[in-house]
Amino acid sequence: MHDVISAFLDNEPFDPAELSASLATPEGRDLLLDLVALRAVVQPAGLMPVSAPARGRLVYWGVAAAAAVVILASGYVVGRQSAPDSVASQAATTITAPEPTSVFKFEPGKNWTDSTQAGGN
Amino acid sequence: MAESHALFAACHEGLVRYLAGAVGHRETARDLAQDVFVRVAAADTLPATDEGRRAWVFHIARNIAIDHHRRQQLRHVEGIVEEPAAGAADSADTALIVNQALASLDDLARDVFLMREVAGLSYGEIAEACHLTPDAIRSRIHRARLQLRKHLQRPITAARAHPMRAGLR
Repeated sequence: MHDVISAFLDNEPFDPAELSASLATPEGRDLLLDLVALRAVVQPAGLMPVSAPARGRLVYWGVAAAAAVVILASGYVVGRQSAPDSVASQAATTITAPEPTSVFKFEPGKNWTDSTQAGGN
Repeated sequence: MAESHALFAACHEGLVRYLAGAVGHRETARDLAQDVFVRVAAADTLPATDEGRRAWVFHIARNIAIDHHRRQQLRHVEGIVEEPAAGAADSADTALIVNQALASLDDLARDVFLMREVAGLSYGEIAEACHLTPDAIRSRIHRARLQLRKHLQRPITAARAHPMRAGLR
């Protein structure tokens, strides 16, 4: 009696007339609600998927990693777009080595360690 | 071998949930699921249809759970109820009550209920796994629910005090 309600809840084939007859009684309607509640009671209680907590942590770290990647990529793109073009081009074209302030010439045979000769301190 | 791996991966979550309900202990369920995998991997041929394969895997799991019960002589689960989720005293209480209620069912009633309710098998798959007809499964699942309804009246009443989802599946 009323097992048509179980079949209905389980998405199994059922006789609509039989279900209608079952739900026409207060007992049938009460049973339907109790079985829906039973499903809710059983699922979260002791029978949660064992991987649920681990999966939760994985999702958390996955989201955190994705957010970090997005932030870094956004920063890179914004930086590229907001930097004046001239900075990069100047760096490549106009920066040259400074002019020398003094020039040393190496003369073969000269003793550079002799402080008595001219130029030493 | 790759086929066995794929089949096991597809069934794993439901398998562990079923075994956790059948033996009342999550870690043991994980170990037993590995035993199931060993047997699945050792098979020379697999059933032809997806439904047949799932039923076959759960048939193996059921046998392993029965063997486990025989070895452990474990007929009630008061002492090995699952650890509660962090900070969830109510959940722990409910888990204890649910496990006690499941333990009060006969083996077949508990198995068909768990295969349906926590592993999501169809009546046809459960029938194949338990070597019964789909009509017999329908009847047994309903009877199991009626028994659980009696045992779990308090949490059921509490659940009915809040909005619910039908959860048809």
